[in-house]
Amino acid sequence: MLSLNIDLLANGLIMGSFYALMAIGLTLIFGLLQIVNFAHGEFYMVGAYAYTLAALKLGLPAWAGLPVAFAVGALVGWLTERTLMRPLYAGYRSWGPMKDEYAIVVTFALSLLLINLVDKVIGPYAVLGPGLVDVARIPLGPVMLTGQKLIATIIAFSTIIATALFIRYSLWGRQIRAVAQNRLGASLAGIDTTKASSIIFALSGALAALSGGLLAPIINTTPDVGSFPAIKSYVIVVLGGMGSIPGSIAASLILGVLESFGAVYISYDYRDAFGLVILIVVLLVRPQGLFGEKGREV
Amino acid sequence: MRSALQQRLRSELRTSLVLLVLVAAVPILVRNDYWLGVLIVSMYFALLAGGWNLLAGYTGQFSLAPATFAMLGAYGTGLLAYHWHVSPWLTIPAGILVAMVVGMVLAGIVMRLRGPYLALTTLSFAEIMRIVIGNSYGFTRGDLGLSIPTLMNDRLAWYYVFLAAVVAMQFGLYALLRSRVGLYLMAIRDDEIGAASRGVNTVFWKTASFTLSSALSGLAGVLYAYFSSLVSPELGLLLQTGLVICMVFIGGIASLAGPVIGAFLVYLTSESLRAVGGVQLIVFALLVILIARFFRDGLWGLARRILERPAR
Repeated sequence: MLSLNIDLLANGLIMGSFYALMAIGLTLIFGLLQIVNFAHGEFYMVGAYAYTLAALKLGLPAWAGLPVAFAVGALVGWLTERTLMRPLYAGYRSWGPMKDEYAIVVTFALSLLLINLVDKVIGPYAVLGPGLVDVARIPLGPVMLTGQKLIATIIAFSTIIATALFIRYSLWGRQIRAVAQNRLGASLAGIDTTKASSIIFALSGALAALSGGLLAPIINTTPDVGSFPAIKSYVIVVLGGMGSIPGSIAASLILGVLESFGAVYISYDYRDAFGLVILIVVLLVRPQGLFGEKGREV
Repeated sequence: MRSALQQRLRSELRTSLVLLVLVAAVPILVRNDYWLGVLIVSMYFALLAGGWNLLAGYTGQFSLAPATFAMLGAYGTGLLAYHWHVSPWLTIPAGILVAMVVGMVLAGIVMRLRGPYLALTTLSFAEIMRIVIGNSYGFTRGDLGLSIPTLMNDRLAWYYVFLAAVVAMQFGLYALLRSRVGLYLMAIRDDEIGAASRGVNTVFWKTASFTLSSALSGLAGVLYAYFSSLVSPELGLLLQTGLVICMVFIGGIASLAGPVIGAFLVYLTSESLRAVGGVQLIVFALLVILIARFFRDGLWGLARRILERPAR
């Protein structure tokens, strides 16, 4: 019984680390622009395909697929910002109050576009990426893990830590945080606010795509594979407090563990529905999230 | 004297009625069951688009669950008809009521919040409802769907039932929007804090708008359930919601005529392009992005601006 629980805990934390990789990008965009990117799941999907096709079509070794996924995700994120997000920053006075709506519709349409484009170009059938390692099972204390999961988790965790350090200490990271706090103030201090947005979108796309690449050998990739990781990230950013990085990391791990235990002790069929229950309870009881500040209204 | 808004609503109502009269005349020329079916589904989408437009276009609340409420309405009806063989006189109102009540409860939860929370919550709600219904094999037969007895085998009769529903919706929305309530809704859309400060009970009216919009979706779902005599979780696919949003934006958001025009245009185009295979959604998604980016009142707005230019 105890070993089962340890197993569940470990698996929950592992899933949580992939969720965190997804959710950080989403929460960064929210922190900067106060919008939700509904095409975030498609960044994941693009990464999963980039990883898989790099190995299957280009014949690259499996590990080389990860930087490819990272780069393709960064490119898609950057292009999204360049082509679609610019109107949000300034001007467009006539539809000032419609800012949220513009962002929702444009990103939702982008998600439809990417899904159907990939469906048309690559095809609707599922593909499975090559594993990073051949080792089938690695005992880690009392827990048995597949080699792929262990390696992928280590990469995910290191990337999360690197990202957090980047945002906290690097010059670009400081600029991004300044823009998130006060866009006008930051631009007066000489910070290129548009560049900060570009960096955030590229980073967000790259992280989601990396998450897709890491999970491609475990979960079958189809054009609509992104919808679930995306919905999990939405739950996480609400739970962790929109815009808060430590909050979203903690919320990811909590959600991963809850789902892992819930699937065994409550119901396997409805494991994906726990997120909604959590989401609604949080919105009712604590809309600012577990770690978020209470919103200030003008 | 009528205000500019009332004149605008009246001309939009007139345009949509002209279109619907043309649609009513189609069976004189076309008796092909396939194309009548295509037009019936277009009208199903017109109901969804009209309901979503009330919520998104006029009240400014971007729900991502119109198709889900159609699914809920269809299941409300379908489960009663399938398990207990209840008479359609009861199942039809019951289905609409299910969509309405769920909409009201959900709105009660999310309408106290602003910004992207509503879109997030309704999107999650949509996906999870589909999972719950798809996985409850014992009760809903999961992805197999429920087959229920149809009410009429005559496709032409269904054609006019759907048409009557769309016409009724247009008159109802017109009456609602030109009344005081319409002003409340549009005030909430344009400046929520401002509206509240002038004494509009914003939470109440947003909830009311959401409930009414859900009821319209539910009505569409109920009619579709009896028309196709099959109720399945596919009704609530996110893709269907995507289509509804495409229709409203391409036709023209925040107008009475736009969503109806968009529904026919998008669905008929999508059926004609079926032979080409899979490109229609790429085209629509691109169109929506371009419209949202560059001329946000859609085809109807474009047409109106071209028509009005010489008069000025």
